[in-house]
Amino acid sequence: MGSAASAAAPPPPPPAQPQMAAPSYGLGLAGILPSKPEGDDKKEVEKVDYLNLPCPVPFEEIQREALMSLKPELFEGLRFDFTKGLNQKFSLSHSVFMGSLEVPSQSSETIKVPTAHYEFGANFLDPKLILVGRVMTDGRLNARVKCDLTDDLTLKINAQLTHEPHYSQGMFNFDYKGTDYRAQFQIGNNAFYGANYMQSVTPNLSMGTEIFWLGHQRKSGIGFASRYNTDKMVGTLQVASTGIVALSYVQKVSEKVSLASDFMYNHMSKDVTSSFGYDYMLRQCRLRGKIDSNGVVAAYLEERLNMGVNFLLSAELDHSKKNYKFGFGMTIGE
Amino acid sequence: MGAVVSHASAAAPPPPPPGYAPTFADAASSAPPPLTPPGTGKDAAAVAEEEEEEGEKVDYMNLPCPVPYEDLQREAMMALRIDTFEGFRFDFIKGITPFFSLCHSVSMVSMELPSQGADVIKVPTSNYEFGANYLHPKMVLMGRVSHDGRLSARTKWDPSENLCVKINAQLTSEPHYSQGMLHCDYKGKDFRTQLQLGNGAYYGGNYIQSVTKNLSLGTEFFWIGQHRKSGVGFAARYDTKKMVATGQIATTGVVSLSYVQKVSEKVSLASDFMYNPMAKDVTASFGYDYMLRQCRLRGKIDTNGVVSALLEEHMAPGVNFNLSAEVDHWKKDYKFGFGMSIGE
Repeated sequence: MGSAASAAAPPPPPPAQPQMAAPSYGLGLAGILPSKPEGDDKKEVEKVDYLNLPCPVPFEEIQREALMSLKPELFEGLRFDFTKGLNQKFSLSHSVFMGSLEVPSQSSETIKVPTAHYEFGANFLDPKLILVGRVMTDGRLNARVKCDLTDDLTLKINAQLTHEPHYSQGMFNFDYKGTDYRAQFQIGNNAFYGANYMQSVTPNLSMGTEIFWLGHQRKSGIGFASRYNTDKMVGTLQVASTGIVALSYVQKVSEKVSLASDFMYNHMSKDVTSSFGYDYMLRQCRLRGKIDSNGVVAAYLEERLNMGVNFLLSAELDHSKKNYKFGFGMTIGE
Repeated sequence: MGAVVSHASAAAPPPPPPGYAPTFADAASSAPPPLTPPGTGKDAAAVAEEEEEEGEKVDYMNLPCPVPYEDLQREAMMALRIDTFEGFRFDFIKGITPFFSLCHSVSMVSMELPSQGADVIKVPTSNYEFGANYLHPKMVLMGRVSHDGRLSARTKWDPSENLCVKINAQLTSEPHYSQGMLHCDYKGKDFRTQLQLGNGAYYGGNYIQSVTKNLSLGTEFFWIGQHRKSGVGFAARYDTKKMVATGQIATTGVVSLSYVQKVSEKVSLASDFMYNPMAKDVTASFGYDYMLRQCRLRGKIDTNGVVSALLEEHMAPGVNFNLSAEVDHWKKDYKFGFGMSIGE
């Protein structure tokens, strides 16, 4: 991201931003730290071209690297996913989950009840249009649409429908990408309105702000965020008037290893959590581990047994609540 | 299973420490098996069969020694009593000398709580167990202690070639829950006999005799002083190189039949039927056992709607990775677990 800074060399073509936006749905590892090693040897020219700053990361993705390393999808029980591509662009997926889910209990003990569900999904992936749908055996439907109306304007729709009344949600997002800024406008059900704006200030630093209003509960809030990233590290800060302060720091130690840490303070619920994790991206496997200030130790291993066949192992130990969750699973298909 | 069938239906002791039984079963299936004196049982029967196949005349004076009474259903047990677990298990066995080894066993599982409704409720628990084994051809000592105060001890001593003394004890910190049992085994030329003494004034004995080179018949009796119960049972076992069939019946009302077919060196299929008229419980199960070079896969399906499987993969010499799954469609209960076992 810093390579576009130099005025001495002709500016390289702008990085391909639409591919950076696609991983917000979690597809592939390509979104990690777009590092441009040639930025390191431009140190002799220290002048920053303020009219030619790179486009910043979207507001909801400023903590992207930290979330990918620190929040793997831990589960308990058995998971089996099968993705079948019918076409270049269209694929179907079947997903079975059998395991224990926690039920809230009045005593301090955790109580788990075995559950099972099956989820059927269909994905249509086109550079300009992405449609993703999932339906579960308990009657829930998830739908996501991402449509590039023009080169700079993107429309995203998210919907979660259930058969229980008043539990369905939907959200419309309009994203506009400028040369060195991004703006987003959100409309959701329950009269939710939000907007955010992110601006590149220097080649490494970008700052942004957001505002939201919930009509039904008459709540509103405003927040600020900033992100500083170089080839080797990413540091972010987020403050909101709902009383949440979140900081994160990710250090890319090498191509294969990155370390991340995260701090969150919630003034309303007086909740403070700090976590530290690592992410090893090796050829045959990806191992993520994390330890928390709540006494939670978690690890997630994805091993590539074969082309398109992945074996998953997930473990989460909560020493303070004496709650242990272990799971294994298999993912077939890309 | 002989003695256990009659005893289990008469009293209900607390379940044995979880890490204990599988270690013992593993020890029984790998060399050297501590409870079965070497050179008897199926191996001797197979050799005797080959020698006499040309002859076609059964030498009733030279019958092989039968399998011990409690090991009657041994092949069926190994294939069908799959030790599935839920959660995580880690076992580490460290050999200090050729005879002595220590083992550490950690397990974090969700245990089911008895609940009044039809729902299954599970609570996460954790358990650490430390054990020590001394395995000598003439004397075997095994001890396990777990962090909640339970101690298991097993001893097997051969005072002479034909006589064998075994002691089993499970001590707990709760009063009146400890158990102990003493077995004296005598191995004759083509018969075996055993006497058992246990706490709670338990007395038992069994006798098994080879009738032909494939068939052996046995009988057992027991008396529990504490509950004033007694019982008699009969058992029969017919085995050839390719199959083993057993039947057992006892006055406690339990009828148990099993059949194991050894399809090839690596594959065997087993099925089992148990009928308990006291508890009105009938169960039949069918299972397979694939013993491959790199792994051992056992699967089983039951008439109670339970499907279970256990995979033990040998990733490196001494390092095993286990995956266990049990799905009870009837009660909608699912148990999945994985674990690692290091050391032989």
